[in-house]
Amino acid sequence: MRAVVAILATILALAFDSSFGGVLTLRSVGSITPLAMPCLVVFIALFAPETIAILVTLLLGVLVDLSPGNGELAGSAHLIGPHALGFLVTTILVLKIRNIVFRRRVFTIAALAAVAVITTGATEALVMLIRGIMPWTPAVTSGGFGELIKLFGTAIYSGLLAVPLGWCLLATIGLWKFHSPTGRRATWR
Amino acid sequence: MPASWLGWTSDLAALVRVPITPISHIGILFTSWVRPSLEPSDFPTDEKERNDLAIAERDRYRQLYHAQMLRATELADQLRELQALPESALRNPQPPLIIQVDVTGNRPSVPSGTIELKLIREATSRIRVGDIAIVGRDIVGRISSIGRTKIDMQPTTNKDMGLTRAAIVPAHPTGDRSPLLAEIILQSNGDVIMVAEVAATSGVRKGDLVQLDDPSWPQVGAGLTLGVVEDVVPLDEAPLRQKIIVVPRRLARDVSRVVVLGTGEEQSE
Repeated sequence: MRAVVAILATILALAFDSSFGGVLTLRSVGSITPLAMPCLVVFIALFAPETIAILVTLLLGVLVDLSPGNGELAGSAHLIGPHALGFLVTTILVLKIRNIVFRRRVFTIAALAAVAVITTGATEALVMLIRGIMPWTPAVTSGGFGELIKLFGTAIYSGLLAVPLGWCLLATIGLWKFHSPTGRRATWR
Repeated sequence: MPASWLGWTSDLAALVRVPITPISHIGILFTSWVRPSLEPSDFPTDEKERNDLAIAERDRYRQLYHAQMLRATELADQLRELQALPESALRNPQPPLIIQVDVTGNRPSVPSGTIELKLIREATSRIRVGDIAIVGRDIVGRISSIGRTKIDMQPTTNKDMGLTRAAIVPAHPTGDRSPLLAEIILQSNGDVIMVAEVAATSGVRKGDLVQLDDPSWPQVGAGLTLGVVEDVVPLDEAPLRQKIIVVPRRLARDVSRVVVLGTGEEQSE
């Protein structure tokens, strides 16, 4: 996988999630905002070699955890883990099923992006819950049914956003220089 | 891991933000241009310049009036006990430094999440942690940290903002209503609203203004607007009290630039 392309895509996705995404925010229904990063994670998990996919998506999760508004603690410290582990779980999930899906279809990327949002959200909730059990951290007080509905809304909206994003990523797939471990490209569907 | 052990992540986050901030800044400007704030602009337009100027002046003097009224009320309460108060304590020797700062990043899906502001090297010494950020006459947040590459601001509705003392005044003062309806302790629920309790006889109505009146905030913020009363709900468990829902009129996520009332001293050349 070509690193420069991945870095550029990462910068654009992070910038989208922390600024441009506000254009598409549904302010009247709980500020539901589509996310670009899950689409990128799914794309990499679908096409990159397994080891590379796991490492890169783990790194992407760390970067998201370090972006503003995510896991902020006292003293502007960031909690590294919720998105990193969420993207890792998502990647493992995609790696398990990528040989039985039509990888080069935009619909596949869109559907998996929606699943990625839910998986990441669930992992994030689990991490925060476990962290809240620790005696040195305050218990988790947010969440609830409203947050669950918002998570599903975000998943659907991100899936819709993944249609044009996925098309763009598929159109530039040659630039990414994905290679399977065996050097074959016949497994692309 | 305890939060106190994670201070290094702040520096790491600052490094990560270096390549992202320029694009994110453009994104904030674009977002603000495509979806401007619902509130009318504070700047006069060519079409209604005179009216808007008059309204701006009216709001300005109303804010000054509220600030002085709150100050007078506070002083009247303390006068009997604090006869020996030094004169200097009653004055504000340094007016605030008004610094316009661009918003460079936020999390649109979390309206009360931390907002990232552009670091202005020349103004760094003038901005302190705890300074107030405003849009027009409305408080939108406080500076929570000043890093090497960015400034973080907590919106007033952030759950970590804690308790804030405020006063409720009528939006349109009339003779039959008291100019000071109630003094309250505001608390955010982590969403875009804040809640407080008032006496059922206070006469607070929907649409009344909530003004800052908290000595733990910079003094320059007294009388600035924290929000409007969105709803007044009777409390079944306490019939003599009512819960009020307060909603900010302006949200930092909807604008591309805020004004920080800096309390730091200007650097001498």
